Amino acid sequence: MSQPLLLRFTFLHRVVHWVVGMTFVVLLLTGLAFSYPSLFWLTTLLGGGPAARVLHPQIGAVFGVGLLVMFVLWVRDMFLDAPDRQWLGAIKHYAAHEHDKVPPAGKYNAGQKLFFWLQSLLGVLFVATGLLLWFPESFGSGLLNTMRLLHFAAALAGGLLLILHVYLGTVAYPGTARGMIDGKVTTAWARLHHPRWSGERVER
Amino acid sequence: MPDTLAIKRISASPSALIPLESLRSGGPVYSKLVDISKCIGCKGCEVACKEWNDLKVEQTSNFGSMQSHKDLSSNTWLLMRFNEVEIGDDLSWMIKKDACLHCEEPGCLFACPAPGAIVQYQNGIVDFNQDQCIGCQNCVSGCPFDIPRFDKETKTVAKCNMCIDRVEVGLEPACVKTCPTNAIQWGIKDDMLALAEKKVETMKRRGYEHAALYNPGGVGGTHMMYVVPHGDRLEDYSLPAHPVASPAPLGGLNVLRRVGSYLLGFGVLSALAHFLAVGPMSPEEDS
Ligand code: SF4
Repeated sequence: MSQPLLLRFTFLHRVVHWVVGMTFVVLLLTGLAFSYPSLFWLTTLLGGGPAARVLHPQIGAVFGVGLLVMFVLWVRDMFLDAPDRQWLGAIKHYAAHEHDKVPPAGKYNAGQKLFFWLQSLLGVLFVATGLLLWFPESFGSGLLNTMRLLHFAAALAGGLLLILHVYLGTVAYPGTARGMIDGKVTTAWARLHHPRWSGERVER
Repeated sequence: MPDTLAIKRISASPSALIPLESLRSGGPVYSKLVDISKCIGCKGCEVACKEWNDLKVEQTSNFGSMQSHKDLSSNTWLLMRFNEVEIGDDLSWMIKKDACLHCEEPGCLFACPAPGAIVQYQNGIVDFNQDQCIGCQNCVSGCPFDIPRFDKETKTVAKCNMCIDRVEVGLEPACVKTCPTNAIQWGIKDDMLALAEKKVETMKRRGYEHAALYNPGGVGGTHMMYVVPHGDRLEDYSLPAHPVASPAPLGGLNVLRRVGSYLLGFGVLSALAHFLAVGPMSPEEDS
């Protein structure tokens, strides 16, 4: 039972993660409600259509700030190095769970790093288009529609990333989610998923 | 008196695609008919509209035109546009009564995601319910005539409601009632079509060979129709020549909706398939 544990995410990292994560889920659900008449009932989550419409951009502002903090906290670890490129070459082995054929990853594997950059890019798109949609009286309806379509497209990409993220972080790789709850992972988990990181940690 | 408020379509509901049929569907179907050639530019209709609908007055200024306001707004549902055009070496006013045309196939309603925020009645009126409106302005992109206007204060969208509260009790809309020259008429749509035909004939006899009825088929016809002396110069009246009920902006939205549901469905299903194929990857427990 008593396995040695490693601290993977500090309290600050965890808080920021959940602020961004939870606001994103609410934003995604209300956004889908605004886009699909059949999902309009989801606005009930925030007190009905008009209320959801008022709250959506406000929650979006929290999301935007959270994402910025997230970027600052994590960006140092997110640049791809040479082993990462090898890892990407072996990504199909990774997906097939043949981890003996996958080059060892550091604290974050190349997939996670790309995820980070994609999410940051989408974040910029969300906030830029969202801000304009928040104050629509300042420009014409042609631009408004373009912004709405961009915002929608970004949300779909974000939704896809969310599905991937939640799937990999929970059922696909047991032991991962704990890193975002009390911040700790087992050494066995670290050796399996992030050998170079666990190596550093153990030597220390 | 027949029930004039039987509902035909409700936004964001199945009836947006398949209009409701009811026992009361056979009630009267109305239309306004605007005869531009009879307008003397008094703007009595604009005032009547403001008064009846209790709309806020906006400060106007002379900007070198006969026109009162530069544009429609959430408090100005009717604007007589005086486009100045030279025909031959004569200056002509191409007047347009700019207000909701109450389309038979309303692009605004098709675009609206909020159930009940836009309602179309069997009598032809398309009305916005501000209490259901979420202010997303999809209707603004969906209207081929650029009619709905967003209100910064209420964060909802407004437009002409054809004085539905008057029509309901058998009265004509306020603008119709006010017009001193009968340039705006009101009645059963079929009667108005017959009347329009006569008017067009008369104009043609008087030398306006391109006189025409404006009742565009791309939106299924409208419940405010125009008779225009220069039917070959619709742009000069600011009337789109080929309006459609689902203009391009709606097309983009519909494509994204479809792509989106496939994409997210695909995401969930492939995660499931992956799990069924290879299962979880757990670290071997240290012992
Ligand atoms: S003119 Fe515009 S606002 Fe009026 S019914 Fe047609 S689409 Fe709707």
